[in-house]
Amino acid sequence: MSFPEPLQKLIDEFCRFPGIGPKTAQRLSFFLLSRPREEAVSLAKAVIEAKDKLRFCSQCGCLTEKDPCRYCSDPRREQKLFCVVQEPRDVLRLEQTGHYRGLYHVLHGALSPLDGLGPEELRLPQLLERLSQKEAGELILATNPNVEGDATAAYIARLVKPLNVKVTRIAFGLPVGGDLEYADDLTLSRALEGRREM
Amino acid sequence: MSERSYKTDALVLYSRNLGEADRLITLLAWERGKITAVARGARKVKSKLAAGVDLFTYGQYQFHRGRTLDLITGQEVKEHFAAFREDATLYPYGLFLSEITDRLIRSEEPCPEPCALLLEGWRLLCDETLPDRMLLCRAFELKMMELAGFCPYLQGCLQCGTPEAFFFSPRQGGLFCSQCAGGDTIKLSAGTVALARRLLEAPLDQVRLLRGFDLQRRELAASAAAFRRYHLDIGELRSLQLLRSMNLLP
Ligand SMILES: [Zn+2]
Ligand SMILES: [Zn+2]
Repeated sequence: MSFPEPLQKLIDEFCRFPGIGPKTAQRLSFFLLSRPREEAVSLAKAVIEAKDKLRFCSQCGCLTEKDPCRYCSDPRREQKLFCVVQEPRDVLRLEQTGHYRGLYHVLHGALSPLDGLGPEELRLPQLLERLSQKEAGELILATNPNVEGDATAAYIARLVKPLNVKVTRIAFGLPVGGDLEYADDLTLSRALEGRREM
Repeated sequence: MSERSYKTDALVLYSRNLGEADRLITLLAWERGKITAVARGARKVKSKLAAGVDLFTYGQYQFHRGRTLDLITGQEVKEHFAAFREDATLYPYGLFLSEITDRLIRSEEPCPEPCALLLEGWRLLCDETLPDRMLLCRAFELKMMELAGFCPYLQGCLQCGTPEAFFFSPRQGGLFCSQCAGGDTIKLSAGTVALARRLLEAPLDQVRLLRGFDLQRRELAASAAAFRRYHLDIGELRSLQLLRSMNLLP
């Protein structure tokens, strides 16, 4: 049995989402079709608007409406303190703790060559350039506490050695393996405070 | 194998994110060969699975059979190899062992020997006194190829049998003497051939005692790459690309 073409097309589009298989894609499609037209239009508009209005900050790589982003363009933030994270959502996560007042740098991934993510795919040249331009005093590595995140941190620590920046790694005090975005505020704040020099 | 759940010792070969909070894990299991399974919620910091599904973990795992993929329902870590995460220069060598194993071992049959070899490889790499990591990788690759039934023939000339065979043919997967060698061979030094035989035949931990000269290392690297390309359809290994970008290859 095959679906009418427009429906199949919708299902295929949903299938591209992470974690969405054909079954879930069908469920989402049928749900959408059961709703009034305005809802579908409003969803489509929201997708286009987000895509058109949001971009990655040319400096730190976080998601932003204006470039440079509000963190990079805020003079009240500590200009010599940098925090490296894997994903744009990690920036929001750290902001929610209210404990960090420096600048960010988003890598857009972690070193995982078997998945096709080598050093060239991460925003490392930009990091080096920003660190030397701002004469950074400290670089906090807040990549995830799993093998890829740790190896990325170790890789960056080795890479920035010639710059003579103090390099620290946030302490998790939790079993290894989890992602930063799932840590609670208190744990994250403690992890930041308890960072140790690499 | 119709039971709904099963338990086995295994090594984590490969681990990547899946959906919101899951991990998709490839394991090499003593009793089950290669298994791909989902660890639900493993990226949540408080997950009981998080610690056991990271790359370079040796543990005992419990699975529940799923319709498409099996689920990991429990784990007990037996050995963690923390050095891979702490030492940036060690990580790509660990990836090399994973990558080679992943490419060579494909079946779901029991594979105690490949498992034991990989576990020993991890232990040796993490030992700070190991003199030459790349030489260990070469020995590991030859031995894993042998276990997988892909090993090049190194004893003597493939044609006439003389041990004085120093021309390696990636296509035919073995050595030839100067009389029998065709056009597609790589000329190796006698030292390289002797070293390759030792790497293949001696127990893995003997790499501690072996030294490779620069010429031998280069010849081994070139032969291995050509053999892999021809017989395993593998272009440059990603772990080797990382080693190169870190200036760790000669
Ligand atoms: Zn920015
Ligand atoms: Zn011959």
